[in-house]
Formats: sequence, C-alpha cells, structure tokens
Amino acid sequence: MEYDKVISLLLLSVLAQNYYTPQEAQEIFNRAGEAYYREDYPAAKEEYLKLLSHGFGGSDVLYNLGTTCLNQGDLGDAVLHLERARRLGGSTSDIEANLAVARSRQLDQVVGSSDELFVERLAHAVRERAVGVAFVLTWGLGFLVLLLARSVSGRRQVVGRAAAALLLLVATFCGSLLLVRAYVGATYTDAVVTAKTLPAREFPEAIGKISFEIHSGLKVRVLEASGRYVRIRLPNGLEGWADREGISTI
Amino acid sequence: MRRTGSKSIAALAALLFFAGASSAFADVEFYQSVDRDQVGVEDSFHLTIVASGAPEDAQIQFPSSNDFEVLSRSQSTQMSYQLGGAGASFNRTQKFVLVMRAKKVGTLILPSAVMSASGKTYRTEPLKITVRPGRMQDPISGRPRRGAPVPDPFRGFPFPDEPLSADEVDEEESPTFRSPRPDADVFLRAGLDRQEVHAGEQLTLSLHILSRVDVSGVDSVTLPKLDGFWSEEIESPTQLSGEPKIINGVPYRAFLLKRLALFPVKPGTLKINSAEADITTGFIFTGRRVHRASNELTVQVKSLPPGAPPGFSGASVGKWKLAAEISQDRVELGQPVTLKLSLEGTGNVKNLALPSLRAPPGLRVYDPTTTDKLTPSRGKIGGKRIQEYLVMPQQTGTFTFSGLSFPYFDPETERYEEAKADPVVLTVVAGSGGAISLGGDRSSPTAQAKNLLPAGGLRPLRYRAHFSDREEPIWRANFFLPSLFAPPGIWLAVALFGFVRARLNHQDEQSLKRRRAKAAHRRLAAAEALKTTGSPQAFYAEVEKALRDFLEVKLGVPVTGLTRNLLKERLAQAHLAEDQQLRILRILDACDLGRFAPGGDGGQRNWVLEQAQDVFEGWNTTK
Repeated sequence: MEYDKVISLLLLSVLAQNYYTPQEAQEIFNRAGEAYYREDYPAAKEEYLKLLSHGFGGSDVLYNLGTTCLNQGDLGDAVLHLERARRLGGSTSDIEANLAVARSRQLDQVVGSSDELFVERLAHAVRERAVGVAFVLTWGLGFLVLLLARSVSGRRQVVGRAAAALLLLVATFCGSLLLVRAYVGATYTDAVVTAKTLPAREFPEAIGKISFEIHSGLKVRVLEASGRYVRIRLPNGLEGWADREGISTI
Repeated sequence: MRRTGSKSIAALAALLFFAGASSAFADVEFYQSVDRDQVGVEDSFHLTIVASGAPEDAQIQFPSSNDFEVLSRSQSTQMSYQLGGAGASFNRTQKFVLVMRAKKVGTLILPSAVMSASGKTYRTEPLKITVRPGRMQDPISGRPRRGAPVPDPFRGFPFPDEPLSADEVDEEESPTFRSPRPDADVFLRAGLDRQEVHAGEQLTLSLHILSRVDVSGVDSVTLPKLDGFWSEEIESPTQLSGEPKIINGVPYRAFLLKRLALFPVKPGTLKINSAEADITTGFIFTGRRVHRASNELTVQVKSLPPGAPPGFSGASVGKWKLAAEISQDRVELGQPVTLKLSLEGTGNVKNLALPSLRAPPGLRVYDPTTTDKLTPSRGKIGGKRIQEYLVMPQQTGTFTFSGLSFPYFDPETERYEEAKADPVVLTVVAGSGGAISLGGDRSSPTAQAKNLLPAGGLRPLRYRAHFSDREEPIWRANFFLPSLFAPPGIWLAVALFGFVRARLNHQDEQSLKRRRAKAAHRRLAAAEALKTTGSPQAFYAEVEKALRDFLEVKLGVPVTGLTRNLLKERLAQAHLAEDQQLRILRILDACDLGRFAPGGDGGQRNWVLEQAQDVFEGWNTTK
C-alpha cells in the first residue's frame, strides 16, 4: 500500500514537471523574447523548443522560433518554422517579410522557377479553421431554416426557403474550399532543406551520380520515398534523390 | 646606394655643405631605455638615453640613484639635414650609453633623466628593473654574460648583438670566437637572436662589420633576400660607430650596419642568404676597398597550435590590447561622429587586421582611415594601429557598438587570447534641424530627409502567444462528419415522414368501399347486440341501416329512398341472384314492419338477423 503511494507521488511529480499551465507557458514565451532581445539567440531558441515539446505550439511560437533561427544564421530551421507558422495561422505580413529576408540570404537561386498552381495558392490562402467553422454553421442552419419553412405557409414559406437556399449556397462554397485544401494537403508534400549542403542524386543510392546540390533554406516538393532517399522536385521542375535526413517536411 | 662614414667625416661634411642653409630644429624627443629588465646583481646592463632635436645648449642630467653604479659612459652625436615644404631643418641626435650595475637585489626603479633646453625641462619615463642574485642570461642574445658556454648564432661564428663595453671584453671568451680567415682584418657577419620561433613571431636580424683596421665607409650594401619574412627596420645608423671586441685574442671593432625585425609568415625551415657590402678601410691616400659577404642563416619556424578561435588571422601574433573610443556619445541627427578603434601592443603592427565594425541599423559607417604608429622598444617591434570610422546617424535613438574583439596568439604563454573592447554607446537626438547628411544625391528626397527609416530588416517578435497544439485538419475532427450528414439526414427523414403520412391520408373509392363495408358489418354486429336487450325499433333500424350501407357499397349507388321495384331493378343490374334479391326485399320489409309495427317476437328478430348475415356473407353476383 505504502509502495503504491510512493509510486503515485513519483508519477505525479514527473507529470507535474512535464506539464505547464498557460501562465507558465506565457512566462516561458516572455523569457524567450527577453533572451532574443539580449541577442542570446541559443537561449531563446531553447525556450521556444521547450514550449513546442510540451504541446504549446501555434503560429506565434513558430513565428518567433523561425525569426530567432534567422537571426542565429540557421537558415534551414528559420524557413521551416516560418512556413509552418504560415500553414497554421495563415499568411500574415510579418511572416511574409521575414520569409523574404530568409530567401534573400539563401545560397540557391532557382532559375526559371514556375509559379504555384492555382489550387495550391488557393489552398494555402484558406484559413482552414475559419472556413471549416463557417461551413458547419451555414450547412446546419440552412437545413434548419428549410425544415422550419415546412411548418409555415404562404409568403413566410417563400422567404424561409430563399434564406435556406442562400445559407446552403455559402455552405457549398466553404465546403469547396475545404475540399481544395484537403486535396492539396493529401496530394502535395512540401519540405525545407535543413542540411547545410544536400546533394541530389540521379537514383536513390549512395553511388548515384550527383545531379545538383542544394543548400539550407530551400523549399522543395517531396514526390516519393525509397529507403533513406526521397525524390524531390525544385520549383523549376528539377528533380533528384536526396537523403531524407537533410530535409524536414512543413 | 647608401653611404655611411665615420662620425668626424660626416659631421665635417655636413657642416661645410650646409653652412649657409637656414636651420630649424625638429621636434624634441627625449627618452631612455635599458637592454634588459631583469639582471643579476653581478651583471651589467646598458642604459641608452637619446635626445633628438634638442638645441646645442641642452643640459642633460643622467639618472642618479644609490641603487645603481655607472661603470662606463659613451656618447655619440648624429646630425641630419632635411629639405621639406617648411624649409630646411637640422636634426641632431645625441645618444648616451651608460654601462651600469645594480647594487642590491629587488625590484628597483631607475629614475628619470632630465634635460633642460630653451627654458623647458624634459623628463624621461622612470624604468623598473628586477635584480636577482648572481648572474642571469642575456634575454636578447641568450648568451650568459660570463662563465657559460657561448651559443653559436652565426653557425660557428657567434657574435654578440649588443656591443660589449671594454671592461666586459674578457679573454676567457676568445677561444669560442673564430674568424673565417685567420688573416682577415675586416669581415661582415649576420646573426639572429633566436633560432626557433612561431609563425608571425618576431626574431631580430643584426648585420655587423668586424674590423681590425679603420673603416672609413661602406658602399653597396645588399641585404639578403628575406623570402618568407615580413621585415621592419629597427635600427639603421647613418654613421659608423664602432665598439671594441676581442675575438680569439684579436681586438676588433664592431660596426652595426642594420638591425631588422623579421616576422616569418609560414612555418618550416627558412633560409636567410648572405648580405654583401663594399667596405672602404683607411683614409684618402691609404684607403682600400674590399667586398665582403656575410654568413647564411637558417631559422626553424613552428606552426601555431590548433584551436584558434573564430576570427583569428595568422598574422595576429604578439600581445595586444583593443580599445574603442567615440568622439561624442550624444549627437544630433545628421551630425557625424568619429569612432576610433585602436590596437596597441607588441608584434607586427603593420600586418594586423582589426575587427570589422558592425554598425547597428540606423547608423551609416563609412570606410575607415588607418594609421600606424611604430614604437620599437628594446629591440621589439610594437606600436599602435588605429582605424577611424566616420559614423553618420540616420535615425534617432540609442545605438550600441558591441562585440568588438580581437583574437591573437601570445607566443610567451603559447596560448590564444582575446582582446576585447568595451561597448560604445551613441545617443542620437533629433536636434534643432538644419542637419545635412553626408554623401548621396542631395536633391533626392532621401538625402534631404533627416530621420531615414529604410525598409528591410527583420520584423520584431510577437509578444503575445495564442498557444495551440499542432492541429488536425477540421475535416478529421469528431464533430465534422455528424455536422455534415445530420442536417440533410434530418431534413430527409422529416420529408419522408410527411410523404408517408400524406399517402396514408389519401381516400380512394375502393378503400371507401372497404371502410363502408366494415361499417356495415359493425352495424350488423351492433344489431345483434340489440336483438335481446334493445327495443325492436332500434334493432330493426340498425339492421336496415347495416343492410342499406352494405348495398350502397356493393352497388356503388345510394339506395336510401329507392322504391322496392327500383331497388330490385338495381340488384338485378348488379347480376345478383333472384333468390338473393327477394331475400333482401323481405328483410327490408320485415325491418319496416318491425320499426313501425313493433310487437314481433324474438323469433322474427332472429330470422331477420340470420337473413341479413346470409346476405352479407353470401353476396355473390352471377357476373
């Protein structure tokens, strides 16, 4: 019995160490910001990573972590976290500005790169949560109004049915956006090069001839995987097999 | 070509040649130095006092201390004449060499020498000398002054770098000195103070003439090629000044031609070739000219140890201090300030690379101007390298220049060190206006603007966080599918229910007939209940209604109000059997009778009821 109590207390203490209250998380967030402005970038990065490892993520933490990495000169992690912040919280001016700075510092200049497809741009522009909530609300409300219209007659029934049609139209539009987002998410996998230098080979073997080399911070598309290699495609269509340890998916 | 001569000839020539020139003395320099800062109490050392640019009536008072005694004293004077933009000027340099000895052990202070000239008094810096018991090695030549074997810096022909005074010349040293040729009366010798150094560390090369005869001049001095070295001149006398030497019992006079500081730029075994010179001995009619070459030298240059800190450059060897200084710490916007970075110490000053200045955003820093000040001390090259940056504020605010450091290798401790400068803070205020930026197109809006806020740079951090764990897509949330399917499902269910209900409420002819037939059967059943308990009128009325309802269902036309004949006709049209037609008519007649002439018995009721039931059950048309 005593033994069980001791074990329980130990377990509780371990769990308590691994859990932050929202106030504690905000304190760590503030501490990281202070370290950043002292130019102690390694300390700031450590604090942000601590928050992420304890489940306190989000666009704000990822943005600050990416900016810290950028100041630290770690271009790969900077682009990775800023891109993740954009995926999570949508495109904002500060994320775009810092991503532009990161791109200007990149070693690689992809010549002849083509723009993203319309569906990709549309999917990246969609704020998934907001659109999802809008869809659920308008969809449910539309059918509710349609049902209520059955119980009335005459002019009220006409107005009710028109309102229901409008709500269902909005719901259909939101649902289409979600569908595009889901399709792009399931079809395309983007990643960022985190290795300082990453050779891309002609086939997925160490003896494969190196087609080209890319460097940290470059955004690539992952097409398929084979063993420890993944086939990547650059924005200009150039393809090669790279070590999967050298990239991180967004 | 360089020509040197004896003191008397040079002085005479200068006096004759420049007698008519207007003279003006250059700035006065007055300093003293010792050849060693650590001596044994039994050792002697040299104190050199130099007065340059002093007028002829200058009075010099040598340092006087009870802790030291002066063993001997020598003096030399050097005159130079310069033609420049400010006119001709004489410069006279007097050099006094005092051979001294300490009287006691300890850290002693050699007081200042004092010079009075033209109503002014000049003082040299006092010198600190550590005196230990007994004798010590000479730190420059590495040679014990007495009693120890003499090293061989000249490959078997050692030669002291510093001339010894006459009283120090000892016949005991003579066996170790060898001249290249026993009959040589004049020869040229080169020597190094060290045989092994680190790359970038200083070693000193001395070139001397040793002569047993009078030397009247030296021509065509060719210095060795110093491949692999950075060289700086330490001493280059413009006139020959001999010091007595005893070599193999033969008295010589040693004349210093040149003393160079060498800094090896690469590791390995480096070779120094021979120097050559044409030496003229004797005087006008008895003189002769001989060509002499010095000995060759080698030196071992060690690589710097591994573990160099970031930013270290291979030439940063020595001992250095870094300082940063700003002309104003508070300035108005648009007004320039000067930031001075200085690196001072011992080593190859001219080959140093100062740390680059990283300007905070909002300040524009122009390319620096670099000045070097060499101050050789006791045979060591050193000095100060200064870089002055013009800083132009372009924003108001407080800016800090921080992180200025200079990593170097200290050959004495054989470790990497880092010289750091204190951060410099500059506050830029708005000012009263009218400030104009330097550089750029003055006509452009940016040149006229004062507080320039250029685009670019990183956006600041977000100061408030909305935490969320890595979210799954909303379509994978538990509520999403029910939210998607429930509304149309409910709507469909309601619609279906309404449809069914409408269907159920629909009345067609057949169902009506069925219901009316059922109602007729129910009436007949009710009549049966009235057979024994009810009144005859109620019984017969119920039977008649049941029968009429039944007939209306079967015939499809109303039968109430029809005459018996018309009813019989309709029954015939329905192809009912004749007996059935008669039976129905008899039942109706019996009911009329029972209703309007009550008094019939129970047997009549039974008969009517049975007949009606037979009609209901036995309805069968012939069609």
